[in-house]
Order: sequence, then structure tokens, then C-alpha cells
Amino acid sequence: MTAILTPRRSPRSATIRDDRPDLRVVPEPRPRHTLGYALVMVLLLAGAVFGAVALNALAAAEAVAARNLERQVAEGEREYARLVADVAALEDPGRIREAALELGLVPSGPARHLQLERNLPADGAVVGTPLPEVTSDPLKPVLSAER
Amino acid sequence: MTEQPRRRRFTRAPRILTRTGEQLAVRRIRWLLVIYGLVLLLVLGQLVNIQVVQADDYADRSVRQRERVIELPATRGRIYDRDGDVLATSIEGATIYADPRGFRPSETADGTPVPAAADPVEVANELAPLLGRDVDDVLERLQRDAHFVYLGRQLDHEVGQQIQALGYPGIGVLAEPKRVYPGGGLAAQVLGFTGIDGDGLQGLEAQYDTILRGRPGALFLERAPGGLDIAPGVRELTPSQVGTDLVLPLDRDIQHAAEMAAAGAVERFDARSATVIAMEVATGEILAMASTPGFDPNRRVSGDEDAWRNRAITDVFEPGSTQKAFTVAAALEEGLVTPTTPFEVRDRIRVHSSTFTDSHPHPDSTWTVSEIIERSSNVGTIQIAQELGEQRLEAYLRGFGLGRTTGLGFPAESPGLLMPHEDWWGTSLPTISIGHGVAVTLLQLASGYTTLANDGSAITPSMVRGTVGSDGRLSPSPRSTSQRVVSRDTATQMQQMLIDAVSGDAGTGALAAVPGYSVGGKTGTARKPDPAGGYSDRYVASFAGFAPAHDPQIVVAVMVDEPYPIWGGVVAAPVFAEVMEAALIARRVPPDGASPTLAEALERARDLAREREEAEAGAADEDPLGIPVDDPASPPAGDPAEG
Repeated sequence: MTAILTPRRSPRSATIRDDRPDLRVVPEPRPRHTLGYALVMVLLLAGAVFGAVALNALAAAEAVAARNLERQVAEGEREYARLVADVAALEDPGRIREAALELGLVPSGPARHLQLERNLPADGAVVGTPLPEVTSDPLKPVLSAER
Repeated sequence: MTEQPRRRRFTRAPRILTRTGEQLAVRRIRWLLVIYGLVLLLVLGQLVNIQVVQADDYADRSVRQRERVIELPATRGRIYDRDGDVLATSIEGATIYADPRGFRPSETADGTPVPAAADPVEVANELAPLLGRDVDDVLERLQRDAHFVYLGRQLDHEVGQQIQALGYPGIGVLAEPKRVYPGGGLAAQVLGFTGIDGDGLQGLEAQYDTILRGRPGALFLERAPGGLDIAPGVRELTPSQVGTDLVLPLDRDIQHAAEMAAAGAVERFDARSATVIAMEVATGEILAMASTPGFDPNRRVSGDEDAWRNRAITDVFEPGSTQKAFTVAAALEEGLVTPTTPFEVRDRIRVHSSTFTDSHPHPDSTWTVSEIIERSSNVGTIQIAQELGEQRLEAYLRGFGLGRTTGLGFPAESPGLLMPHEDWWGTSLPTISIGHGVAVTLLQLASGYTTLANDGSAITPSMVRGTVGSDGRLSPSPRSTSQRVVSRDTATQMQQMLIDAVSGDAGTGALAAVPGYSVGGKTGTARKPDPAGGYSDRYVASFAGFAPAHDPQIVVAVMVDEPYPIWGGVVAAPVFAEVMEAALIARRVPPDGASPTLAEALERARDLAREREEAEAGAADEDPLGIPVDDPASPPAGDPAEG
């Protein structure tokens, strides 16, 4: 009922098979330097391992250094915050008053004002060349940016 | 039983005999391959199980073994006064904890006994003085059936270092932020305080908690079991955000002066409490807000909660005569009276079913409106209020800020008490017009006087000048809104009347005078309501005023609770003068009063020196050393410098 298809042999393959000699002379293989090759490979492997270990050790050492630096930064920040609080406590008017009393100072009486008969520099009279105005920010030295 | 071996022999013998050695080897190899295949399948199955089926689970386990997430707590923002002086800041404290399991003998899982790491009694004896606790308390904590107990929180950093140096197993030290208030009790009721976990609980710390607290960060890193970081591992830092700083309009020096003056008044007049507010007229900024008795937020103890309240904002009182300025200003604004309008004033007046009297009996007199204020006449003020009427009086009082909160937003701020005029009864008009039957906070009273000093424009009080972000620059708060209550003319006329109340011959506020400055203000003395009904025999003394009177810069209001003597002009006015003087000097306000010339001052100084020499000569006759024994400037006994 059905025809079986047989593969047709191509003429080209037939030609190659016909032209190829049955036997040919194979040149003698060059002697390989097995020992040298093994040494190179061992050296390469050792170098790679040593490099990886060295890099890892260096990275670990840097990690230790980084931790030390972070600890120093944290310690510095802690000390700075404490000093800010200490300075503020020392500047407290109540503490200064107590310290002054302990030193023997007495509270001043009510302030008195004098009306000067002629202007002094503090009253607006300018002597010499006035300095240029400097924009000052009294808050700047102690604010967040410098924490 | 006996046939079975024979049958086995019958079936197996031919098969063995038919196999050659080569076939046997092949068969064995095939079996081995099958076994290897099974093992390989097992390995592959497990590989698939680990790498595919349970990959996420194993990955999580792996990460959990080496990952460390370190929470980086946010530093809470600082609070500064107007000059950048620190009022509240955070430092690093030490929190001490213990694992009580280490202080009792135990057993491992295989039953090996494990002795206690240390003797809890010895540890308690050693730690208790450092922790500031009783030995029994520390011992009880070390013997609890728990894995973790606090022994002390937010102690000094040095204490933590000392405890760490002791090296007790089971005792650990954690760094924890600690809120400190360098000024101690300075402005304590205004600043408030934070709880042990850093949450704002009171005052501005609570009101601005969300912006002060900042945002905590986290450091994600991979760490080997020994504790060293894995250098090539993941390291992700989410830095914490420092809380925003607050800059207050408070002036530390004025605040200190106000607290000193309030404390002095409480001590001198045996008062229950005293409250002082200083405000800047042009901006409504609060320069000082002091309440006595106070407390130190660094060392809060239970039992003094009453001192935590910012009484200037939370407590109300009947303003008494200080409110007469508002009543008269309303009548001036309505054109019903002028400062020179005369009134026939007797020393008593009957309204509805009650009789109202002046503080002192006096003959029937013809006083102008200005004189009524100067003499603080109840009767005269009631007569003016009767012309004004209930509706207009209530409207103006509300305009001056009574009966509503000031807009400051401070926690627990009281709106005071001012009933709608529809609910007033027969005696309400005369009562309220002289400052009774109405309750105000001291801040409301100060705001009302700021309106008069600000040429009739009410300005919202301000407690925060601005915020300081991470760039270190000040972001000013929105400017306070203002609203006109009375005209500039009315305010000017009222200012002059209040100047007369201080410097006039019959003025009740003479003790409020500040040398070198003109001062305007009004005294107040009011009975306190009795909780059982009616009025008690206890009083509130008050004074509110401004200076320099002709160009008001600063308003100061004072309230002294239950003093003796009771009079506002005697008790509150000197406190006003003390605080006002400090505020004027601190704010560098030039004097506007008549100051002596240099020659006159030198002459006075010479006179004073002469008088002092004469006095010392007289004292020397009585005391051979010539040094009073209680002179604080005297050298102490045994001082080497003395010899």
C-alpha cells in the first residue's frame, strides 16, 4: 500500500569516499612537557587562591578598620552632644547667679540710665571709616548642620 | 517445611549454571548503575527540593544566620531660645540590662549541670550603688524568672562604662538617647518633657513631638558568627533623620528673671503660686512664661505633677480690675465716653438685687473716665458698662480674646469662661465689667493688653519662632495674624489712662514703675470663687501693663495666687516692674523717661558715697572690724588672704 522511500546516496559523498586513501602516514606527535604544564596550572591555581585569600583578608582588615572608625565617629558625636549640653548648663543664668553669689558678688540694684550731654560713638557718632556690615546668624554655630 | 529447599534447588540451579562470567559482570554493573542512578536521583531530588521547592525558605534561613539589622535611633531635635541657647537636647545614656537565667544553676539539654555564672548577691551589691538603686531591688530583678530585665535606663554614659568594665556575665549595656534640659527648671512648664522611650509627654515636647522625634534609620549588614562584618557581604545603610530643631521666642535671661521674680513673690507674700508672661508687642512672641512652683524635668519625681502644668495657659482666674481696661476701651470705641467724660461716682451702687462697692469708702465724687481707671473704681466702671450694654460688652471682651483659646495650640490650653450674653442674669453686666463672673488665663490677659499696646490690633501669640532643619538654617514660622479690635485713637487714649494708673497721684500701680521708662498698666485684686458656691476669702492679685508706654515694646502680665497682702498693686506690681526692667534691658529698648545728665548723676553718686562713708563710720564705732558679720562679701574665717 505504501512505498518505502530509500535515501538516495548523494553523488558528492560517493566521490569523497572513492578519492580518500585507505591508509596515510600520521606524523609523530610532538612530545608534551607535562611537568611544566602541571606546574603552570598549580601556580595559577595557587596564585588565584592566594589572591582570593589575600583580598578577603584585606577586606576583613578594612572592615575592622571601618568598624573602628565608626566607633570613633560615634564616640565623637556622643562627646560633642555631651559638651553642647554641658556648655548650655554652664551658661544657665541660674547657675551663673549662684556661682557669682558664692564668689561674694551681690545682686545689682535697679538699672539707672544717664542722659549724656554730647554724643559718644556708641550713640551713633562714627569715628573713622565704618566697617562693612556683616550678616551674622547667631544660631548658626550650634545648629543641626554641625552636629 | 521439608519440601521447600528441594523446590528452590530445582528452580535456581539451572539459572546459575547457565550464566557465564561476562554476563555476571554485566549484570552487576547494571545493578550498580541502577543504585548509582537511584542515589543520583535522590541527590537531584534533594537538590531540586532545596534549590527550587524550598529555595525561599533556605535563602531566608541563610540570610537570618548572617544578617544583622542594627536600628539607628534618631536624635531628637533640640530646642533653642531666640538667641540659639540650648534649652533641651539629647545625649547618649547607658541602659543596663540583665539576663537572670545566668544567675541561677541550670542544666543543658543532655542533663549536664551548668553552674550560675555569678553570685547574684555579690553582683547586686556591686551594681546597686552604680545604678542608684537599693541592693534588694537589684537582687529581686536578678532573681526574676525572665530572660531580660532592665536594671537601669538612661543612666550616665560613664556609669555604663564602669559596669561594662566589671565584666559580669549576663549583664549588658545598651546605648540609649537621653533627653536633658541644661537649664534644669528653666522654662520647664513650657518645654515639658519626654518619657523614658523618648516620646513627648508634656509641653512643647508633646505639642511638637512629630517634628522633634525624627525618623530612626537602620544598618543592614552581614556578619560572621565571630562578630566581624563580612566585608564583601551586603551592607545597606538607611540613615536616621535627625529631628527638626525648634527655635522659641523665649529669651533665656528674661525667662530667668521672670522665674526669679515669681519665686520671690511666692516666698515674700506666702502665696500659693505665681505666674508671669512677657510678650513682644509687635510680633506677639512670648519672651518669657514662668510658673512657680516649678520642677526640674531632669529629675522628675512622682507627686509633683501639679508643678508640671503651664499655669499661664492651663489655669484660669477672675481677672478683677485688670479687665476694666477692656470695658472702658469698648465704651470709648463705641463713642459713649471720652477720657474726660465725668461721672458722678458714689462708693456703692445697687444693681438688680446686689450692691457693688469700691474697695475703699469715699465721698460722692465727680470723676472722669480716666480717673475711674486711675482709682480703679468698681462703681464708675459699672456705670460705664451700663451705658455699653450686655451685647456690646460681650462682643468686645471676645474681641480682646476672652472666652476662646489664643491659637497657640499648647496642650491643655484653657479657653477661659465667658458666657454668652443671652445667658447673663441681672448682676452679670456689673459683675463681668469689673472682671468677676468671667475667667481668663494669664495668656489671654496678656494678649488683651498686647492688643491695647499694639494700637488696637489683636495679634496671635507665638511660642515658636521657627524650625531648623538639617541645613542648619532657620525656617521662620508663619507670621502671627492680627485683627483690629479697637481703633488706634481708642488704644492711644486707653494707653494714656493706663499710664495714669501707674504714675498718677491716685494710681494704684505706682509700684510697677520702672526707672527710666514710662509704664502703663492696671492692677487687679479679685476674690477667688468658692467651690461650694459664692466667693471665698482668698484672693488673686494681678497686674498687666506695657512699656515704654509711649511706644510699647513689651507687655508683662503677672498673677499671684492667694498672697498676703492681697492687693495687686502691692503684690503683683513689683513683680511686673522687676520682669519688665529685665526684659527692657535684655531687648535693648532705650529708656524714654527723664534720665539725669551725667553731671547730675555724678553729684548724686558723690552724695551717696558721702552718706555711705558716714554710715560706715558710725558702724565702725559699733563693730571694731568694720565688717558686718552677714556681709556676703566678707572674707570667710581662716581665709589665708586675710593674714
